[in-house]
Amino acid sequence: MTAIAAERYTGASIKRSEDPRILTGAGRYVDDIKLPGMLHAAFVRSPMAHARVLCVDVSAAQELPGVVAVLTGADLDAMTVPAPDPLLALIGGDGPTPEFTLLATDKVRLVGDPVAIVIAESRYLAEDGCELVEVDYDDLPPVMTADFALDPSSPPLFANLGDNISRPHSRKEFGEVASTFANADRIMDFHIDVHRHQNVPMEGRGCVASYDADLGLMTVYAATQSVHITRNGVATRLGMEPDKVRVLAGDIGGSFGLKIGASREEQAVAAASRHLGRPVKWVEDRAENLTVSGQAREESFDVQAAISNDGDLLGLDVKMVIDTGAYPGMGTMVPSIIEGMLPGPYKLAALGFESTGVITNKATYVAYRGPWASETFIRERILDLIAKDLGLDPVEIRLRNVAPRTDPPTMMITGRPLAGTTTKESLQRVAELVDLPAFRRRQAAAREQGRYLGIGVATFIEAAPGPRSEGPGGALGMESMRLRLEQDGIVALFTGQMPHGQSHQTTLAQIAADEFGVPFEQVRVVVGDSDVVPFGLTGGSRSATMTGGVTLHGTRQLKAKVLDFAAHLMEVSAQDLVISDGNVWVRGDPASAITVSEVAGRAAAGQFGAGVDADLEVEATFDGGQGGWSGGTHCAIVDVDAETGLVKVERYVAVEDCGALINPAVVEGQIRGGIAQGIGAVLLERSAYSEDGSFQSATFMDYLMPTACDVPRIEIEHLETVPLDADVNFRGVGEGGMIVAPPTVVNAIEDALSPFGVRIYEQHLPPARILELIAAADPGHSRAER
Amino acid sequence: MADITLTVNGATRTGSPEARRTLADFLRDDLNLTGTHVGCEHGVCGACTVIVDGRAVRSCLMLAVQAAGSEVTTIEGLAPDGGLGTLQQAMWDSHSFQCGFCTPGFLMQATAFLSEYPDADEQQIREALSGNICRCTGYQSIIDGVLLAAQRNRTLGSRELSEGAT
Repeated sequence: MTAIAAERYTGASIKRSEDPRILTGAGRYVDDIKLPGMLHAAFVRSPMAHARVLCVDVSAAQELPGVVAVLTGADLDAMTVPAPDPLLALIGGDGPTPEFTLLATDKVRLVGDPVAIVIAESRYLAEDGCELVEVDYDDLPPVMTADFALDPSSPPLFANLGDNISRPHSRKEFGEVASTFANADRIMDFHIDVHRHQNVPMEGRGCVASYDADLGLMTVYAATQSVHITRNGVATRLGMEPDKVRVLAGDIGGSFGLKIGASREEQAVAAASRHLGRPVKWVEDRAENLTVSGQAREESFDVQAAISNDGDLLGLDVKMVIDTGAYPGMGTMVPSIIEGMLPGPYKLAALGFESTGVITNKATYVAYRGPWASETFIRERILDLIAKDLGLDPVEIRLRNVAPRTDPPTMMITGRPLAGTTTKESLQRVAELVDLPAFRRRQAAAREQGRYLGIGVATFIEAAPGPRSEGPGGALGMESMRLRLEQDGIVALFTGQMPHGQSHQTTLAQIAADEFGVPFEQVRVVVGDSDVVPFGLTGGSRSATMTGGVTLHGTRQLKAKVLDFAAHLMEVSAQDLVISDGNVWVRGDPASAITVSEVAGRAAAGQFGAGVDADLEVEATFDGGQGGWSGGTHCAIVDVDAETGLVKVERYVAVEDCGALINPAVVEGQIRGGIAQGIGAVLLERSAYSEDGSFQSATFMDYLMPTACDVPRIEIEHLETVPLDADVNFRGVGEGGMIVAPPTVVNAIEDALSPFGVRIYEQHLPPARILELIAAADPGHSRAER
Repeated sequence: MADITLTVNGATRTGSPEARRTLADFLRDDLNLTGTHVGCEHGVCGACTVIVDGRAVRSCLMLAVQAAGSEVTTIEGLAPDGGLGTLQQAMWDSHSFQCGFCTPGFLMQATAFLSEYPDADEQQIREALSGNICRCTGYQSIIDGVLLAAQRNRTLGSRELSEGAT
């Protein structure tokens, strides 16, 4: 008999149960799948940004020994049915519906657009086959800028649309916009650009599709954030009933929003497997990943701010244009989210917001870690610009504008309650941690020696999942879980979460172990089989609250059921039983203890009379409870070399509030990883196209990723949010780092360059751009003079 | 095709790879050692790093035939008893990784580096690992794992020394 465990797993940095396999090479990623008779696919891809496809000659490729089949866009069109992107089908996109085929048939719309698929005995041979496919193209003018796409004379990418508008212009107003601007002391105008960059998980997209013609079943081994959304995508495109498609997923090498649903290539691989009756594998290489897997951001904003002379941000009027790339994706939904989140944690009382989405000959817009992040970027950027104009300190202007935490909560002008936000506390704490006055003294001294140090602060809130509000939650507003006490005493959680680095197999087990009263090792988290787990999606920083919550409540339900059954076995009342450390006993009588495993074994083996429920399984759902905000304030100190333009992030501090922490080490890993991506976005990363539409960053020599020398040690402090829910106060933390790091770093760079009078209205600041900014701000300040 | 013989994780292995076949593909597909991951196929990301004759090597840039006669260690060979070696244990204790795709490369690179520079400091470790890309972690937890492993190796080494002296 063990003593009642006083310590809880929840809240402790329990070592990950994922790690033993990952650290020994025993993880199973999609490229590790090998099936008998498996073939390999490679795609013939367009070298042109925009062209008509005149002729695809596959004869030479078909004759190559080892090549089993070459399927053109027309071939695949004949064996599939038109289908929308499965994510859009689920949550609904805005805007018109362009018509296009699975692989290109009439025309290609970006460099890398797939034109044919070659299936061969090996990947080497499949790529040899691709070399032999001859495609005749007839050039069309590429549409490479939003301005050109907005021009009615630009050639439409999709014949059925007639223009290049993916999201028609719309305008909404919240509060009294006109009178706010009419009565403001000052009005300031800004044009702010956010550049195109992308997810770049270390494992690209990929799948193995295996069709069993006898059974009419398709099995797809996928790298995905949701086995069910992938299943839907494959089933719809192949014209199959969803229950005839089974999607399996093992370990996934990162995603950051990229791997939701089923890409055109993955659908084509599934179609090829059905056509050939053999398993087919496709794993994209890095060039494919960088060129065509998907890209994000590339948004521009005309921002007008109404402000008081004291620094009150009274109103914003924002005109946004988003470049959604070639094919339909999440991009058309992004402006609506940005609109809703633009007020942030501030008192902003008037907002005009208009947006247009455009289609260009670039990679399709995909979700990337905080797809709406530009709301934070433009807001936190202009607050610094305003502060500089008014002679205010960056922390001061934010504290001045933050909505106080009141009961009932202040409403964002766009509609959601600012319940439980701790923005003020995080701003104050960051200022303490970095000792702002001391930094200013150090900065002044450094400048005298020609060193340019700068400090930047930015704050954010994230709806992870957001406070409870009225109205339907949609397909993702509910989380389901099946929980079962297995006959060996394992508490099994069947979840639709599809972890790809988030550590759910650890964190959910921590919660269940505490709630049920078993050791952590006695909980198994089952993921990655569309036939076995309920519907779900890992994304949108939703799992901490939604899946953590359904785990908590579901475990309680399962435990109640187990106790009822144990009460029958032990001939006592269930109310007198307790479970702790894997044992069930009568309260006050430790000698009565039997193990949970014994209870489970008896339930599986025994025959019981009517009224005894020995089926120790429950289906639980959770609607998010009272929900709540994640958020925090970040601060960067940078050292900018005005001679070379190199920026060194010297110190980075994050004061974060994601409510109750399930596993602090996991939380901090998410925060640091997001910050690293944010630092990369500002200093290094850009998905670059030339004017003629060729893609210029298709290797890691051109698309630069932050390394261990670029990311500093990151200091993190946690604030515990004001609890809103009786039970579930875990909040998502996956996206926040990437949302707030870019403005934090840019604000610091501008502060460093303030002696030059530099003002920054963009996000990508590689060395060459820093030097341009210095030169443009102060043309007289040349190298020779220093 | 050329017949080659090499030692992989202490065992003699043979094969007949095409001349163009990379060592990474040979290990993964021909020898079923899928712990080595291919991240970029152009030698930048380091995910495919293995140790060849004591040196950390990008197995995507080396041909299998070039490894003939060599001694190759992959992540599967780091802890032959099926447990965890010092570095792996330290990485586990440090919550070093998230998705795990870059992990084999970091482990092999750090193994080769620590064997040569057992007393390396944080900056040296950062520079030694700057040719390996991780997209999930921001590196701090990986660096901490390597530092912890180095410290444990030193403690172990000095204990062995003092035990040997007594």
